[in-house]
Amino acid sequence: MTLLDHLFIVVFSCLIAISVVRNLPIVDKLAPVLYGLILIMLVRMASVAYGGDAYLSSFSLDLLGFKMHWQFTALSWYFAIITLVAALASAVFMSGDWGRQYREGGGNYGMLQLALIVNVFSMILLLGSGDLLSLFIGWEFVSWASFLMMVLSPSKLAKKSAVKYIVYAMTGAMALMVAIVMIYAVNDSLEFEQISIVFAQMSGSSQVALVLLLFVAFAIKMGLLPFHLWQAVAYAETPGPGAAFLGAISSRMGMFTIVLVIVQFIGLGGLKSVGTSFANMQTLLAWVAALTTIIPTYIALQQHDAKRLLAWHGVGQGGYMLLGIIMFDSIGSAGGLMHVLNHASYQAALFMTVVAVMYRTGTSDLNKLGGLVTQMPLTFLVMLIGIIGLAGLPPMNGFVSKWLVYRSLLVNGQPLLFVAAVLGTLGTILSVYKLIHNTFLGQLRLEHQNVREVPWSMLVPMLGLSVIVFITGFMPGLILPWIASVQESVGLPVIAHHLGGIEYAKGGLDMIWVSGILFYGFGVGALIFYFLGGKSKRVHQYDNYAGGHFLTSDVRYHYSNNFYPGLMHLIGTWYRGSFQWLENSIVSVMSFFSVFFENIYRAKQPVMLLLIGVVLALLALYRNLGVGA
Amino acid sequence: MNHFFTVEGILYFGAISLSIIGLFGLLVSKNLFRLLLSLVLFEAGANLVLVLSGFIRNGIAPIFLDGNSGAVMNDPVPQALVLTAIVIGVGVQALALSLIFRVKKHYGSMDMRTIRSKLEREIAENAGVTPPGSNEAPAPVKLIEGENS
Amino acid sequence: MNSLVLLMVLPLFAAFIIPVVAKFSSKLALFTGPVVLCINLLLIMSAWVKVGSGAHAIFLGGFLPPVGIVFYIDHFSLLFSGLIASMVLIVWPWDAKESRLYSLYMLLSAASFGLALSADLFNLYVFYELLAVATYGIIAKQKNSSATAASLRYLFISSAGSVMLLLGIAIIYTLTGTLNIAHLATMTENLHGFAGLSAFALIAIGAGVKAEMFPVNSWVAEVYGTIPRQLSALLAGLISKLAVVLIIKMLLMVFQVQAAFDLLLVVGMLGVISGEMVAWRAKDMIRMLSFSSIAHLGVLFIALSIGGSKGLWLAIAIMLHHLLVKGGLFLMADRFSGHFDKLKGLAHHSPMSAAVFLVFILSLLGVPPLPGFWIKMALVMNLAELGGGLYYLAIGVILLATIIETAYMFNLVQTMYLKADADSTPLNKRYSASYTFAKLFALLLLVSMVFVSPISKRLKDIANHSANPQIYIHTVLPARYLGEKS
Repeated sequence: MTLLDHLFIVVFSCLIAISVVRNLPIVDKLAPVLYGLILIMLVRMASVAYGGDAYLSSFSLDLLGFKMHWQFTALSWYFAIITLVAALASAVFMSGDWGRQYREGGGNYGMLQLALIVNVFSMILLLGSGDLLSLFIGWEFVSWASFLMMVLSPSKLAKKSAVKYIVYAMTGAMALMVAIVMIYAVNDSLEFEQISIVFAQMSGSSQVALVLLLFVAFAIKMGLLPFHLWQAVAYAETPGPGAAFLGAISSRMGMFTIVLVIVQFIGLGGLKSVGTSFANMQTLLAWVAALTTIIPTYIALQQHDAKRLLAWHGVGQGGYMLLGIIMFDSIGSAGGLMHVLNHASYQAALFMTVVAVMYRTGTSDLNKLGGLVTQMPLTFLVMLIGIIGLAGLPPMNGFVSKWLVYRSLLVNGQPLLFVAAVLGTLGTILSVYKLIHNTFLGQLRLEHQNVREVPWSMLVPMLGLSVIVFITGFMPGLILPWIASVQESVGLPVIAHHLGGIEYAKGGLDMIWVSGILFYGFGVGALIFYFLGGKSKRVHQYDNYAGGHFLTSDVRYHYSNNFYPGLMHLIGTWYRGSFQWLENSIVSVMSFFSVFFENIYRAKQPVMLLLIGVVLALLALYRNLGVGA
Repeated sequence: MNHFFTVEGILYFGAISLSIIGLFGLLVSKNLFRLLLSLVLFEAGANLVLVLSGFIRNGIAPIFLDGNSGAVMNDPVPQALVLTAIVIGVGVQALALSLIFRVKKHYGSMDMRTIRSKLEREIAENAGVTPPGSNEAPAPVKLIEGENS
Repeated sequence: MNSLVLLMVLPLFAAFIIPVVAKFSSKLALFTGPVVLCINLLLIMSAWVKVGSGAHAIFLGGFLPPVGIVFYIDHFSLLFSGLIASMVLIVWPWDAKESRLYSLYMLLSAASFGLALSADLFNLYVFYELLAVATYGIIAKQKNSSATAASLRYLFISSAGSVMLLLGIAIIYTLTGTLNIAHLATMTENLHGFAGLSAFALIAIGAGVKAEMFPVNSWVAEVYGTIPRQLSALLAGLISKLAVVLIIKMLLMVFQVQAAFDLLLVVGMLGVISGEMVAWRAKDMIRMLSFSSIAHLGVLFIALSIGGSKGLWLAIAIMLHHLLVKGGLFLMADRFSGHFDKLKGLAHHSPMSAAVFLVFILSLLGVPPLPGFWIKMALVMNLAELGGGLYYLAIGVILLATIIETAYMFNLVQTMYLKADADSTPLNKRYSASYTFAKLFALLLLVSMVFVSPISKRLKDIANHSANPQIYIHTVLPARYLGEKS
């Protein structure tokens, strides 16, 4: 029994435990404890993240001649620890008051708890996969577990989008299966190493097919272009903490598999060898990533529902991760990998703030909120930290990873990709400003005057996550050893790091310095503002006037509808729904064929079909064999 | 051309023609009873072909008299097969006839096409859906609300 | 061992005496059938043990092969006999008050047993026809008149199919002079030309009418749409498989050639794609299940096209799985209302039935770790090992079908989990015996999930044994015919 076996046993026992007690009140106390327990198990395995050997499971299965085994590398550990922290935060968040409200609103709280642990279980299973078959099984588990989480919301739209998701997910799974079959057919083996062996033996077109199939499978999970349509609505409609969890980590399983399979076993050489000299696979993937950073981000800008806005950003940020890792150098891949953790931390925190606002006000519609900063200051603080992270500004962790990605793009001579990434960041900044402005700033609505800060059971995980966002931004060296081990284990160049950041020949980064200077600047500003500035007077929110008129509380001066009209006027024509059109056309083509077959089945004289069948079969035989044979 | 005008040749020709007439009837008839008759012709033709396949000129009936008479026998197996097929065929035809009566009573029609559409409609009504191929406009593809990408 | 003839004789006998018995006591008539089937089950079990890993032939009528009537008994045929007995027991018409219906069911089982055990084409044809007659009768016996019309339309295409079957048999006889399958297996070289293979095509398509093969399955939606669900479970679950058994016997013993495989592969693919496409548009449960059933029979043909023992074990696995799943789904549908919209709120009304339904369709879709996944995995891997354009195409078709299937199945599932509204009547019966059996099927499915490895091993053994023409020949034919072969 290795530590990995213990981990599996613990996770499975937790699954059983929660499924047994899920409808009892004790689940509120038990679930966080259990996630803590799993986290401790992971911490016991931490050596793997500091250059130690991978853990192998002593379990293995031999079914129908297919062998399956499991292992935990630095890569698995890195994703697992993010998963568990996100799960722990979500579990704490939903236990207590939020859960009570959810139950009173008719939600099935026990199922939500169960869905969370099922998700954690399936992700651990996927992360621990040691060969292609266990990878596939874990992959399907993760898909169905997310589906379970998504359908829990009673709304019709949620169920519809969950079905849409599962169709996409199945498409991905089937693409993965074809890829696995292609690999298996060559050497009758499902070991990971076979990928590179088989890839080297394949003809050019098979290589293209294999890479594309693998990429499609993983890209669907990640929500990369052009498979991004399912994700945002599905995540946004998932019940509160579930959305936080899914948004934080679920779709990153696609990133995990990309690193595990494409980066590790096909590698830069493999990608570059596929395609023409003008556009090889690396270029293609890089541009997919770049477009993914731009398009979903600008769709997010258009949203007026806070959860959807965040969910669309979740899609867009996936692009940075891929963009970083696809550069295959030390800083780029470090940036891409690090962005997974960073994104998980601030995305979960941001979702939680939105859910907290919904908890108190009952809406996440940005046109119906405003001015909540006075009522919910701590939630505001969390959201502020979160959006700074999301926008990729110092001193939060999002800056570090994005800086690494930018740096890598420039160093690798990819100015166009760099511009695309910056364009994405621009959209992010604009839309996160919209988010925080419409929620917390401006005028408080009359109906929200009695809104209070959310209870501690919800605040603690939010604050905890924002501490992570800040600390890992201030001292990225806490995370970088893990990244370095991941790079080492998947065969990428290893990044040189220290507590404050990285050492790099063409210009390193020390976040302690950056943050120090930033805070120094803030300090000076504050000094000037408070001690040298003019007099200030504190007035009530409604004590206002505009154009010489006093405004009463029923006149809205808080500007939230139709945000960024000028910008929208400029880029509005670009929102054409082309991908939605593409999806609909596929459905239409399918309908066409389906009607065709339906009419065959409605034959007036069934014997005609018999005769046609016989004649065609005989003709085919005749052509194949000839009479004389 | 000589071998065509042998007894077998003519018999084969007749049998195959019978089959084809039957098949043609099955394809083009609308009336249930005619369909049934066409089926009968089709089967009869096929049976004849079968019997002929075991037919030997000047052969004797395949009955063992003294064990080893030396004379060439007609092949008994196709005959047995055809006998069975005829018996079964008659049974099926009788059943079909009774079904035709009941169908006629219920639908008031012997036209296969009418019956098919009425049947389709009945199935759909039982299931509470619109029948397939009804002339209403296809359901519009529904977008998920609020999507614009 | 020769007592196994009773398998076929007892139900046949019962079919004739039931109307007589019913004159005296209708209760007794009702119970005659189940008793006979139970006896048969016992016979099958004892034979299963006795036959072990070997095979046994029973010669009837006083002639030795290749002339006489032969029953071939091995685990494959016994497996199917067991399935027939259990399945007919499950759908036995307890609430029908008509003794003739019991007779017809007995006739149906007799024919089915015969079909499973016979080892010559002549008998296979006879039993196939008997089965057809019994089926028309049972369908037409249903109280609604649309069933009569559906049955009539079924009869036309099925009879035409039988003529094709007969023609195929005639061609084989003309070419070889024998109808004993073992004897045929010794002279395959005569049959691998155009004439022989066209005989196979005629047989496959003729029997394919019952096996829901692609172009000749237009009856499926009509018949399943008009008859009771239990009967659909029987037809889709079992009778269709028996027709496949006929095709399997011909394919494995006589026609192990690429052209035959290709034929099955093509009709299989067309069946899969057309079935799923139409099922996708279906708006009610039965229509959806009917076309999904067509699609799964298509998968079965694709599996058969792998050929040899690999193809056979996959085919057996698919048949068993499909029997459990589709049989279970049809049995469940007994309680469900037709249109999908009426099923709203089912999950709140009866969480158990929603859960059972989910288990079935998840296995149907091949979601790990349910048995369906392993079958799909093994099938796809085996297809890939064969290589070649058509086989790759088949992989694509199967996986595309899975995606379509997910789309429509889960559309239905999400409807079930929606809130009930005014006109939703998810369950039209409070209790139904079929539902109990459906739950049993689901349980079996879950249990077999744990025993995937031993079960597959067992099936592989059975297939290895049954797909081997040499064993077949040596068991059936007397030694002197073996000498003739060379």
